[in-house]
Amino acid sequence: MRKYAVIYQSVLLENLQYAANVAIGFFTYFVFIFIFIKLWGYMYRTPEELIAGYTKEQMIWYVMMTEMLYFGSNANVVAGEVAGDIRGGNIAYRINRPYHYTLYILTKYTGEWSVRLPMYAAVAAVIGAVMVGPLPRFRLITLPVMALCVILGITINAVFKLCISLFSFWIEDTAPFQWLYNKLILVVGIMFPVEIFPKALQPLLKLTPIYTVCYGPAKLIVDFSPAKCLEIVAAQVVYLAVGCGLMVLIYRKGVRKLYVNGG
Amino acid sequence: MLTAAKNQVRVCLLSIKYNIMREMVNKVTFLTNVCFMVLNDASILVQWFILFRLREDVGGYTLREIMLLWGLTAASFGLSRILFARVFSLSELIISGKLDSFLVQPKNVLLSVMTSSTNISAVGDLLYGVVLACACRPGVGGFLLFLLFTVTGTVVFTAFALLLGSLSFWLVRMDILQSQMTMGMISFGTYPDGIFEGISRFLLYFIIPVGMAVWLPLHVIVNFDVRTFFALIGYACLLSGAAVAVFYRGLRRYASGNLMEARL
Repeated sequence: MRKYAVIYQSVLLENLQYAANVAIGFFTYFVFIFIFIKLWGYMYRTPEELIAGYTKEQMIWYVMMTEMLYFGSNANVVAGEVAGDIRGGNIAYRINRPYHYTLYILTKYTGEWSVRLPMYAAVAAVIGAVMVGPLPRFRLITLPVMALCVILGITINAVFKLCISLFSFWIEDTAPFQWLYNKLILVVGIMFPVEIFPKALQPLLKLTPIYTVCYGPAKLIVDFSPAKCLEIVAAQVVYLAVGCGLMVLIYRKGVRKLYVNGG
Repeated sequence: MLTAAKNQVRVCLLSIKYNIMREMVNKVTFLTNVCFMVLNDASILVQWFILFRLREDVGGYTLREIMLLWGLTAASFGLSRILFARVFSLSELIISGKLDSFLVQPKNVLLSVMTSSTNISAVGDLLYGVVLACACRPGVGGFLLFLLFTVTGTVVFTAFALLLGSLSFWLVRMDILQSQMTMGMISFGTYPDGIFEGISRFLLYFIIPVGMAVWLPLHVIVNFDVRTFFALIGYACLLSGAAVAVFYRGLRRYASGNLMEARL
């Protein structure tokens, strides 16, 4: 584990050097939040109206939190790096090093989002406070549990994106599969809470990664309850275990397909 | 003069043709990219089905109008990235001094740059846009207007990206601003203008010209108005003229890099 801690530390320090670059992405984040503030402002006829059990403020905060997770974690770097390594042949050098390739990628990625996410969280808090108003049921004491839930959600997302990228061992370009996965997360998980979908669909959605990656963490931030928290964390642990198992399995099978042509 | 223009158009068309042929070398990857982009675009319809379950209109738009809006944005942006994909990374080209290889060619510099690359997944965007528009049954006149406004939308998207990219001749880090502003324009363009009001609406019509690229054309398709129709065509010409002028003004300031590069 010590070697992964060293990798994490070095990536974290490197990213702290370029923290100002993260701020450049705030514009896109702001554009999305601005659109959703306007959209939900139109959808709610009166300030007291509830949609799927959410007030207007809760609904906007929900989207702000899921977008914060999306932009702050930027899981596309995992997908891009793994697919690039496999397609470009760089993996031939990396699999010989004294670490497990997939764990190295995950550790490196954790070092990256450790700088990005807090910056996006701060921006989200400022935009929310200025443009939406405070969250009615937010309690500071629940923050550590929320943080755990966020960390688990981001890691599960990275593991699934890594799994998709590992298919580059078999097919040349996995980007289209990443688009579909991203869109599933974006349309179903980021834009709306699960409760807004038809009742018949909700149990099905709870079985998808959406429940653990975006809905869970955002729901706890917007509307915390101990029972819900326990349910979400338990689902996340199961999802992470299954995802990691899949990841190792695909990697092992994929590496056997690797041909090194020299160069 | 006419022969020179004809030759230039021929070179541009050949350049686009070879870009597409190059991307089609691996047929499986090409088809997967196109099909998955269509699916990718289509998945966003889920969002609108949900929103229309909550209210009968969103920003004054019916579901059919939203679909037309999506079709117009996807087709315009798609066509722009099929024909002129390089414009969207023009800043990078200028900053890294990679314009040299275009400057030595005996043809128009700007057109050579613009047509030097194709984004193949954009074929999926264009296909999706046209199919979605057909699904809305706009009638023959409406569909012809849709096709015309796809062209003006393409001109506005391309000219806006060219304008921003050309600012790299004067300003550093315009590459990030160019990509964020163009993506922002697309994001705004997929939502109805009725949800924006006041200063934001003004900005979205005149500073980030989403309104002129897709919103106003959609209003003309739904309720034809001859004055707005000509105003839109005039605007597209004016913006592209301004973008070309800024590019050539900036080109005088271009400092070559020491990069050795060959275009084959």
